[in-house]
Order: sequence, then structure tokens, then C-alpha cells
Amino acid sequence: MKTIKLKFNNINQVINNTITILKSNGLIVFPSDTVYGLLCDAESGKAVQKLISFKNRPPGKAISVFCNFELINKLVKINKQQQKIIKEILPGPFTVILPSKHRVSQLLESEKGTLGIRIPMYRYIEILVNRFKKPVTATSANIAGRPAHYSINTLLKELSDKQKALIDLIVDAGTLARNKPSTVIDLTQFDVKVLRQGDVDFSRSKIFLSKSTEETKDIAKKILKEVRQPAEKKPLIFIIEGEMGVGKTVFVKGLGESLGINNIISPTFVIYYEYENFYHFDLYRIEEKEELKHLGIEKLLKMGNILCFEWGEKTGEIGDLLKSRGKIIYIKMKYINEKEREIIVNE
Amino acid sequence: MKILAIDTSCDETSVAITDGRRVLSNIIYSQVLLHKKWGGVVPSIAKRAHEERIDFVVNEAFRKVGNKNFCSLQNIDAIAVTQGPGLAVALEVGIKKAKELAKKYQKKLISVNHLEGHIYSAFVQNSQGNPKRNFKFPYLALIISGGHTEFIIFKGHLEYQVIGETLDDAAGEALDKAAKLLGLGYPGGPVLERLAKEVGNEDFHHFPRPMLKSNNLNFSFSGLKTSFYYFLKKNPNQTSEVRLLASSFQEAVFDTLIKKTEKAIKQTGINNLIISGGVVANMRLKKLMRDLVKKYQGEILFPSYKYLTGDNAAMIGVAANFKAEKDLFVKNIDELDRIPRWSL
Repeated sequence: MKTIKLKFNNINQVINNTITILKSNGLIVFPSDTVYGLLCDAESGKAVQKLISFKNRPPGKAISVFCNFELINKLVKINKQQQKIIKEILPGPFTVILPSKHRVSQLLESEKGTLGIRIPMYRYIEILVNRFKKPVTATSANIAGRPAHYSINTLLKELSDKQKALIDLIVDAGTLARNKPSTVIDLTQFDVKVLRQGDVDFSRSKIFLSKSTEETKDIAKKILKEVRQPAEKKPLIFIIEGEMGVGKTVFVKGLGESLGINNIISPTFVIYYEYENFYHFDLYRIEEKEELKHLGIEKLLKMGNILCFEWGEKTGEIGDLLKSRGKIIYIKMKYINEKEREIIVNE
Repeated sequence: MKILAIDTSCDETSVAITDGRRVLSNIIYSQVLLHKKWGGVVPSIAKRAHEERIDFVVNEAFRKVGNKNFCSLQNIDAIAVTQGPGLAVALEVGIKKAKELAKKYQKKLISVNHLEGHIYSAFVQNSQGNPKRNFKFPYLALIISGGHTEFIIFKGHLEYQVIGETLDDAAGEALDKAAKLLGLGYPGGPVLERLAKEVGNEDFHHFPRPMLKSNNLNFSFSGLKTSFYYFLKKNPNQTSEVRLLASSFQEAVFDTLIKKTEKAIKQTGINNLIISGGVVANMRLKKLMRDLVKKYQGEILFPSYKYLTGDNAAMIGVAANFKAEKDLFVKNIDELDRIPRWSL
């Protein structure tokens, strides 16, 4: 059992080592968008057998696979309606269940012949699958029925020597963001059925942990995807609060990028910039409530528009107007340390 | 060619009357106020209420030229206006007024990009036609202000190519925000300059220089702002040495600007520079830039007068003059609309 620490400058080396071990039917503990996962070549019966003996998993219970948009059509049958849903929710923290084409080891499929597919929004998995060009298993690195792990230390503590011996490589990315396991969506049913409620809960306030500007952007994209409904008649209004330098503009950049707007810069100096129907405000320089009136915000509260307010706490005076005419999403960003941020979302 | 120029891109309501490269008058509302009514303090509300000020500023611009030149709306040749980039609602006011006057007095209309105004600010002359700078194309232009930080190759009149820009905060904004974090108020760029000077511009803390390792000419200052914030938080007692903090932060920003400019000189092979925008009012930056250009045996131009570093209509009028020479007038006045994120 070998351990490599994942750093920002050794991605290539880590991916290459991982692929070598995948090719020789090995087992790898690897970070993911949710918990530490146990990876092996999903098309190799020998590798999957090894995985199942590690997990102590009852037979007949399916194990999902990581893949990409190129591989997905080779692995499962997808009709037009399912295709539409997949495009909507992936990449993301979902496991999608579809009829298998039996290309992967049968041990991974359910008794009904379905397969769970994951295309996460997580760079390392994405690079790995793109280079390996085959699906890899996406099960969590815990024993069946035990809690999943966010750090290598807690994982190792729980393993027997026999289990440790089965692992060929551990890729240690430190403590992972405490995202919940993926939400399972069974697309083989006529109505979409949610098997396991993961991180995506539309009703309560959510807390995300971001470790980098890229992650902050991804979280913003995810949130926009969740709150944006095609039938929505009111404009979407993001009220973003948080100290200077916490990453408010980065968050707005993420929102913009998912709409194809890639040239967002800080609007502090000019108060706001508009990008077609996307309006990016920064109320930092607003000193008197009277000033808000000169910005003509009322005219922008139209269906289809998205308004983002940095230093949203200063919307005070027009808060009631925004509430009555728009759908409001409150975002609070906090420093955890120099790199990490907590992002709290409330609808 | 006599031009009435209007710039309402952000805070300032400014109107100028120019003739070729000469400025006959240039009025900036907040400065008028500064001298007259408010005794030094300009309420921020006044700055952004362009609609209520614009007529007054237009009248002031003509009054300043004086009767001897017989300058009035009837006998100017064209009207120029900033179309962007800037604050949408502010731009609208200037554009509306320009359209109204163009129609009423049957004048041709010229739309100008605020950034080309900043580039031409190095060639603006006073009413006597000084300074007499000749154009020696191509130039490498760097605009550094509260809202912009970008490299442009100025190839010939009205020929621009943007080769680098900020991906988040502008350099001036970073300086202003650092001052705010130090409790010096906002905007505090000038205060930072003064405090830094008191400790000989020492780079005591050596904050990170963002994007220097990247091969392109883009800037990013938000990371520097964050590390500064974190430094202050981790070292609460250090704030007693505000001058060293101010100096170190300013050096981090300027060092980044200088190193990137050096990279741009090497990449483009252009050693004639134009450095403009509000941050150029900083003497330390001017010196660093002069030293850099000396090393490459080039020439460096700054805005020809101090009032031209910030936002002003005079530079818009001068840029418009070159557009008029190429017959670049607005074809359909009714269709002219603001472009808040207009790049060159």
C-alpha cells in the first residue's frame, strides 16, 4: 500500500500512477466531489471481484461508476427524455440509474440489469476518466453499512490489515469538503425517483465549503442550476454578503460562467456592469440610501433577468422592493482560513 | 474642429470644448462644487446624479471659454460623447443629452470609447497648443485607474489592440481597498502614497505578486487583497506600523505593474509607452515607470496635465477629433445606445 499526497503540481504524476494500477487490476483510494472513493477498472471482472471482497458488500447490490459524456452512451441505454435530464443535472453530485449495456463487470449492475452512472464536477476524476478512457468504480471507500470518509486517517483507522493489503494506492488530498454522498436518481422509472437524498436539498439552507476560487465558482454554478426554473416569472436576485476579499466577485463570475459570460470583472468602481440580462452590482461605494434611487434598479426587475448584489447588506432601503418583485437567494460567505470559505445559501 | 464633449461614464459629470488637440474648457462638476458651494466636501450623492447637473455643466463649459472666442452651441462643429465602458445609468444621461443637442442644433455626433479617451489624454494640449508632442506610433499603452487596468497596443490613430487586462479588480481599486482595510477611508490611494513615501517606499512585508508567473499580460489583484486582509487579521498588532503596511502593499501592486509592463515591452518589442488613468497621479509609480523605460531606451508619455489622469471630457473631445478626421460620425443618432462593458 503506497500513499501519494495530492499537491497542485503533481497531478500528472498522480494520474499516471493511478492509471498504471488501474490497468493491473489494482484498487485505489481516491478523492472525489463527495467522499473518498474506491476506484478500480469497472470493465475488469478480476478488479471488481477484489473491490467487492474489500467492501464486504452483499451480492446483488449495485456499485456505480465514474465516466464522462463520451463513455456514457457506450455503458447505458438512454432515451431522449433521459438525455434531457442528464444534460440538465450532470456533471454534478448525482448518481443516475439507467439500463446497462453490460459492458462493465456484471457484479456492478443491479439485479434488474441497471447501472449507476456518475459524472462529477471534480477535476481529478474528470482528468483520470478522460485519460483512462474506461469507466472506474465510484463506490465510497468504506465498508458496507459504515459511514463514509472525508479523510485518509479516519479511513485507515477502520480498516483491518487484510483490507489494507487489498489497497494498492492511496491518493491523499487531505480532508475533503464535507459534501454529502450523491443523490441517486433512477431514470428507468417513469417518474423520476430519488433513492437517496444527498447534498441537493431544495428546501433548507445549505452550507458549502470551498477550498479554492475554482470550487467557489463550481458551487455558484450548482446553486444557479438549482434555483433557476424555466417557468419562473420573477427575476432571480442574488444578495451576496461577506467581508472584503472573501470571494464575492468570484462567486458572481461562477454564476456568469454557467451562462456563458466569461468577462466579468469587479464593478466596484462603476457600481454595476450589465451583461445582457445579467446585472452585477457592487454596493461597496454606496454611502447614502438616496444613491440607490439613481441606479434605476426598479426597471431591471423583469422576468428573465438575473441581478447579483455584492455588499447585499446595503440593499436595505430597496430590500422590500426586491423581495416583492423578485426571487431572492441569500448568499453569505465567510472566511474559514486563507484558502477555505464557507458559503451559506438561503432561499 | 470645435467639439463639445460629454463624459458621464461614472462619478464625474464632465463637459469640455476642444478644438483639435487643444482644450478650450473642461468642466468637472465635483471640482466646480469643490471650489464653490460645498467648501471641500462633495456629497457622494451629488457625484452620481448626472441628470440634475448636466445642463449646468454644459453651460459652464461655454462660459469658461469666454466671449472673445465666440463659442456657443451654434458654432461648434460636432458633439462627442462617451458611449462606454462605465455605469449604464450614468452613461445614459450623457448620451441622452448629446443626442438632444445634436438634433436641436443639427450637429454631427461622435461616439467615443472612454478608454481611447485615456489613451489620447497623453496628447491633449492646453488652449495655447502645448505641449507639442508628436505621434510616434506604435505605442504600448497601459491604462491604470479605479476601474481599469489594461495593456493596449496603439498602432496608429484609432487602431487599438488589447493585449492584457485585469481579470478581477483594477489596480486603483486594489489600492483604495487596501487603504480601507487599514482604516484610512475610501478611496485612499493618495493616502497610501503619502504614507509609503514616509518610509521610503520600503517593501517590508513582501506581499505576493499576483500573476507574475503567468505568461500572459493579464492582471489579477483580488488575491493580493485577500492575502493582505489575512495578514492584517493574523497580525492584529502589526497595524501600528501602518506606514510599512501601506508601503509594502503599494510596492506589491506597482512591482506587478512594472514587471508586467517589462514583459509587454519584451513581447511586443515596443519601447514607446503611454501610461494613463487615475493611478498615474502617483509619483512613485511614475518614477518606477520612467526608470523602466530608460532601461529600454524608449520614451514615456503621461497625461499631459494632472486633471487628465482622472475621468474628464477633454480627452474624449480630443479622441473624437481624430474620429471626425476619419469621418467616423454616428450614422443613426436615434440608435446610439450605451455599451457598459465596451472593450476597445
